[in-house]
Amino acid sequence: MEFTFFFSQFMSGLTYGMMLFLVASGFSLIFGVMNILNFAHATLWLIGAYLCFTFWSLMQSYDIALWLSIPLAAVTTGAIGWICEVVLIKRLYKRELHEQLLITYAMALIFGDLIKITWGPTDKLIVRPPIIQKPVHLFGAPIDSYFIFVIFIGFAVAVGLWWFLKFTKYGHIVKAAVFSREMVNALGIPIPRIYTWVFTLGIFIAGLAGGIQSAIGSITLGMDMSTIIQAFCVVVIGGFGSLTGTLVGSLIVGEVFSFAILYWPDGAMVLIFAITAAILVIRPWGLFGTPLRA
Amino acid sequence: MERKKSFIKRYWLPLVLFIIALLLPALIPSFWVHVFTEILILGLFAIAFNLIFGYMGQLSFGQAAYYGIGAYTTGLLMVKANWPLIATLPVSMITAGIGALILGFFCVRLRGVYFSILTIAFGQLVFFIIFQWYSFTGGDNGLQGINPPDWLFSAVPYYYFTLIVVTIASIIIYFITESPFGYTMRAIRDNTERTEFIGINVQRYMLINFIISGMFCGLAGALWGPFNRSVAPDLCGWQHSGTPVFMAVMGGPHHFLGPMIGSVIFTFLNAFVTGFTEYWPLVSGIVIIFVVMLMPGGVFGVIKEKGYFKAKEPVSNGTNPVDKGRD
Repeated sequence: MEFTFFFSQFMSGLTYGMMLFLVASGFSLIFGVMNILNFAHATLWLIGAYLCFTFWSLMQSYDIALWLSIPLAAVTTGAIGWICEVVLIKRLYKRELHEQLLITYAMALIFGDLIKITWGPTDKLIVRPPIIQKPVHLFGAPIDSYFIFVIFIGFAVAVGLWWFLKFTKYGHIVKAAVFSREMVNALGIPIPRIYTWVFTLGIFIAGLAGGIQSAIGSITLGMDMSTIIQAFCVVVIGGFGSLTGTLVGSLIVGEVFSFAILYWPDGAMVLIFAITAAILVIRPWGLFGTPLRA
Repeated sequence: MERKKSFIKRYWLPLVLFIIALLLPALIPSFWVHVFTEILILGLFAIAFNLIFGYMGQLSFGQAAYYGIGAYTTGLLMVKANWPLIATLPVSMITAGIGALILGFFCVRLRGVYFSILTIAFGQLVFFIIFQWYSFTGGDNGLQGINPPDWLFSAVPYYYFTLIVVTIASIIIYFITESPFGYTMRAIRDNTERTEFIGINVQRYMLINFIISGMFCGLAGALWGPFNRSVAPDLCGWQHSGTPVFMAVMGGPHHFLGPMIGSVIFTFLNAFVTGFTEYWPLVSGIVIIFVVMLMPGGVFGVIKEKGYFKAKEPVSNGTNPVDKGRD
């Protein structure tokens, strides 16, 4: 009894951590490569969730509606990200930090209101297809079957990103651009184009995460801000610009959240901040980051 | 040389603004007196924020936390303990200062964009605590019935009260920025490493500045509660943290009064836009994008560029300090 309870709580923490990883990995990728702190990242994630709801409600008579809506939402959100990059972010590379931050802050404000205008203030709920309505039993513990899917996608994206950065030509270019963009540029590789696609990829993952999120629970306005703050905590805990760090940070935050909510529901967020602050004191560059350049 | 200039010559701009502010209530209807009270409160908020941004060269995106702590301190003391308004103001500054001490202790360990991330995160932490602590803060209902005393109840007396408090606070902040401490801040902004080499404990100085800024943000918040008759957790939220940043950028962070000018523009726009649409964030977002794209350096920056106005304090080397250390 005790173990099954523990295990199901662990699995829901893992799911939560994976959702956070999907948001934080794109955020961390964009920040690591382009040095742009995307305040609007979670707002785009929320747009992904609402888009998925819209696609789903258009096709809801079919069983595969959800499975089609998630990739559609991801692609559409990625396209929105691409437009943002080309229209706005592109002009910000050489600008100062406060200007970049103000622009992404403005994007968060604008997209937040556009969501309100488009989808209204009421909560949205997707009715799950029959295949994921019943829980599965693992080690005697009832686990939401959709959680298995979420965890699988999370690991797939983690492995995919790792493979992309480690083994593909473009991954190597991206990693080199983090290290020295002048040198990469001097080798004749068009940095702006690389940046555009990195940003689009980051937002695409955010859209994918949004689409997946939409079937976990109801979608509400303002979800984006608590998510972006947790993504901040994740990158601080895991270390800036480290994929492994982001994964470990997400899982820590997810598990802590999932267990803290049992014993001290109001204090779950506070506990996460306490961990973040403790990490900063002991290792200011995070668990897997490299020490900050002065 | 600068010191020898006559008083009037040095301070003509704030004097003119102060005299205009004194005469205003006689000239405009009471709705606009309300707007001007808001301008003063948010202007103080932005000036206090600018201690960190313009003078210390770090971008805090979480100053609303201290503003909110100040607002809630006043609100709670007035509603639950029946304190007089004037007595709550110094207490608000102290509580906001303590908040800034605790959170700033961690923030000043980081620089640049990392500093910003942490201030955003801690700002939201304060928001969450206030939002979830129903029994104490009223959660998302906020606190109602924060009524100022009878002699301040109508718009005009409260405006003058705010004007006096904001003026005194601004003068104190001005003297801080002109003191050796203020120049240490500029040194940290312009070259942190070199400042450290001449034997200054940079982290400690940054923390002290963070606390001073937090205290005055708290004072601004304390003025807001009785002005609005209520406080809500939104006061500490991320949207509100961006307000002083934008005001400082719009007015020009390298002039002491720049943030106040930004507050005039921003608050007027707000009063105008909210008159006919509820989508103020959308409009303000578009305005922010246009201002940042088209007039970097703010209003004072544009004026300076055209040569109409010689700023008292040119930034030392033309590059923005906030960006030091990136790349």
